[in-house]
Amino acid sequence: MFGRTDRYYVKEFEADTNANFLVVLDISRSMDYASEGISKLDYARYLAACMSHFSRQQRDRVGIVTIAEDIVDFVPPSAKHLDMVLHVIDRLEPGGQGSLSVPLLKIAEATHRRSIIAVISDLYDDPENVLRAVSILKNKGNDVLVFQILDPAEINFPFDQAAHFEDLESGERIPVVPERQREQYRELMNNHLSELSRLLIENRIDYFLFDTSKPLDHALFSYLSRREKAGRLR
Amino acid sequence: MGFSFLAPVFLAGVAAIAIPIIIHLTHRERKEAIAFPSLMFVRKIPYRTVRRQKIRHWLLFLMRSLAVILVVAAFARPLLDSSTQAVAAFSTARELVILLDRSHSMAYGDRWSRAVDATRRTVNGIGPDDRATLILFAERADAVSQPTADRAVLQAAIDAAELSSGVTRYGPALQLAREIVERTDRPRSEVVLISDFQKSGWDPRQAVRLPEGAEFTIVNLSDAEAANLAVIDAAVLRTRSGGRESAIISARFINSSGMALEDVRASLIIDGQAVQEQAVNVEAGGSASLQFAPVVVPGRPVRGVVRAGDDALSGDNSFHFVIEPEQPIRVLIVEPRAAGPDHSLFLRRALSIGSRPGFEVEVRRVTRLGPGDVDGRSVVILNDAPFPDGEAGRRLRALVEDGGGLLVALGRRNPPGVWPEGSTALLPASFGGPVERASGGGGTLSYLDYDHPVFNLFRTPRSGDFSAARFFRYRMMQSGEGSRELARFDDGDAALVEGRLGAGAVLVWASDFENFWNDLAVQPVFLPFTHEIVKHLAGYREPDSWMAVGQVVDLSLVPELAADELPEDAELLVAGPTGGNTVISPAEDSWYVRLDEPGFYEVGLAGDGDDRSAVLAANLDPVESDLTALDPEEMVGAVVARTEAGAAAAPIITLSAEDLERRQALWWYLLAGAAVLLLAETLISNRVTRATN
Repeated sequence: MFGRTDRYYVKEFEADTNANFLVVLDISRSMDYASEGISKLDYARYLAACMSHFSRQQRDRVGIVTIAEDIVDFVPPSAKHLDMVLHVIDRLEPGGQGSLSVPLLKIAEATHRRSIIAVISDLYDDPENVLRAVSILKNKGNDVLVFQILDPAEINFPFDQAAHFEDLESGERIPVVPERQREQYRELMNNHLSELSRLLIENRIDYFLFDTSKPLDHALFSYLSRREKAGRLR
Repeated sequence: MGFSFLAPVFLAGVAAIAIPIIIHLTHRERKEAIAFPSLMFVRKIPYRTVRRQKIRHWLLFLMRSLAVILVVAAFARPLLDSSTQAVAAFSTARELVILLDRSHSMAYGDRWSRAVDATRRTVNGIGPDDRATLILFAERADAVSQPTADRAVLQAAIDAAELSSGVTRYGPALQLAREIVERTDRPRSEVVLISDFQKSGWDPRQAVRLPEGAEFTIVNLSDAEAANLAVIDAAVLRTRSGGRESAIISARFINSSGMALEDVRASLIIDGQAVQEQAVNVEAGGSASLQFAPVVVPGRPVRGVVRAGDDALSGDNSFHFVIEPEQPIRVLIVEPRAAGPDHSLFLRRALSIGSRPGFEVEVRRVTRLGPGDVDGRSVVILNDAPFPDGEAGRRLRALVEDGGGLLVALGRRNPPGVWPEGSTALLPASFGGPVERASGGGGTLSYLDYDHPVFNLFRTPRSGDFSAARFFRYRMMQSGEGSRELARFDDGDAALVEGRLGAGAVLVWASDFENFWNDLAVQPVFLPFTHEIVKHLAGYREPDSWMAVGQVVDLSLVPELAADELPEDAELLVAGPTGGNTVISPAEDSWYVRLDEPGFYEVGLAGDGDDRSAVLAANLDPVESDLTALDPEEMVGAVVARTEAGAAAAPIITLSAEDLERRQALWWYLLAGAAVLLLAETLISNRVTRATN
């Protein structure tokens, strides 16, 4: 254009590209907990299925990785893999202990295209470790979203009867007096959640806490609204 | 003023307060573990050491404890003291008469303790202006306290009250109560009758009507089902075999319960040792008899007891009796000089038969009668023989004057002319020549004095026919002053005349006993007739093998004590069955002793040197063993005065504790209070739980 007209032009255009959308779903035994109603794992299933479905609707390639202490199932992102993703989501069984470091490292090594990666877990780990594991994906140029799923009993600790509490993942039993430990528990949990939120947001990683007592559509809508606002700002 | 409880045993349930305490102090650990996603925030803390140290919610604890107490108190069936209620209801002063039944039937089960409790409650309820009198009654009524407002005096009287062995009689107690009520100056009066309402003690014809306006309150202590077996009689039948005297004991039992008693062991105890035991079956509401095997009677009084059953009224399960050795009547038959060998055949034969009493008969010719032959005799029969003269005659007169008996038969050999001069004056009738009645079949006896002991036995029809005897001759008799004609012939002549000579009796029979002038000797009535004559002349009284409690015994009539031979300053010591001693002083004319309790009384001379003694057996009145209860309303209707309109003048309040408790129904309020407390506790605890969460 400059040769013909000897004038500079700026050409603007918009183009839609097909992105990879990969769901990383924690299926450790701690996810198989429900104080009442739906369990965390089921809640995570619905969330993963919804997000995969939405992504496929906008022609993204969808895939899923289920993890515990290692990768359990891996469906690479593809335009044709929605059914497989849904099948994996439907058939998965909880098991193993939760750990993000090893599986996320392997995922980072396995993905070569920049992807949107949604990590769904209860994040029972030190916040620094969580950030370290997630940052590997982030540093490879992926758009990483972290969804923490918690049962209301894990937040409020409403128990009133002294009993032995059994860790779902390790099987360890501890005598607990909830009335005496409730306040301390809540404080520790709040500190944990605050630290996670602070670290992830500071590192430009989207973080959202889902409470299984709240309807999934409501939680999802809140998240997407916030994501849309953030997108406009960028 | 205060509470009492019908079922205080339930108060032990207060221990249930420990339950909320335990709940508060020990937070029990759940047995199953609670699964939790991660315990990274849960610290390990041993919790028991902390939890058991203190009660956290005092309000909840107090509410739970109070609820438990209320429930327990409700089950214990509380009641406000009845008399307290009365005081609250009526403020005016009253005259209170408490009639406490202490008859033997009150010993059944716990009746007596319940009666004492009811009496105490009544006394506790008297107001400051009230006045009360306590009357104990059985067959008689005794006011054990004067009308008083002092509870201490009344309580002391209650403490001293004891059961008696007497029978129930309501009449005297009600009469005494009426007298007190009639004399009172109090505006109100109330009679409280505390009894088991034994039906046998109530005679409507002797009902005492209280003054108009007097309240009549009953405390009914009867039991719906009162089972009682009683031994009510033990008859002693004497037999003699081989020169040894034996006794056969026949016992009688009654069963006043509604259930048949089978195979009840009845034992015969002689002098403290069980010698026989047999089983007896008694139908419900029926009676039964049992005969034990003969027991040998030694020559001394024997104490016997028949014992059977083991029920709530034990006093009538034993029956006491005494078997006295036989004491024969010593009879001397005096025959005329020309008597044949069988002159007294019929008399001897008749008197040789008999065991109650036996007769010891000796026969002497009047010509051979020595002074010593008369001594020691109870009865002398001049069988067609004249009065002996000389020393024998004087001894005979002395014998009669000292209480002995003389029977004179005026036969063919006994005209007045053969009698020593002046001796016929000892007879109650003068006599003369014989009266011929051979023509026309002979005379008969047309009048007999059945009120006299000699003929009393023949009083009832078909108990002896004297009219069959034919009298062909008899001597004309003219009754003297002070004499009594006991029998007359059909022509009006005296046949048997009785007179007194000193302390003794003289009977004159106008004919003979030989079957010569008459045929009475071959008539069936001859044997009992002669027995009755001799027993009467000897002053014989059949010894009582037992007596009834409440009976007053005249010790002067007890043969063993030989009252007429006692020294003037002698004192009798009466030892009761339970050890209480009573001293009787015959010198002061007090020969009487009252038998107050069942068992054996031992009577002896106080002091040393005289071993005369007697044993008396006393038994409860069988009437008291019948525990059938009277309908109290029947008594109330007869005792309470009615107004002209026919309505009861005084309110009738049944102070039975059960009725009072039912009427007050305090348990309902207690349970309602407990329910409200538990509801409030639930609300508060939920609120506390929510706040904690």
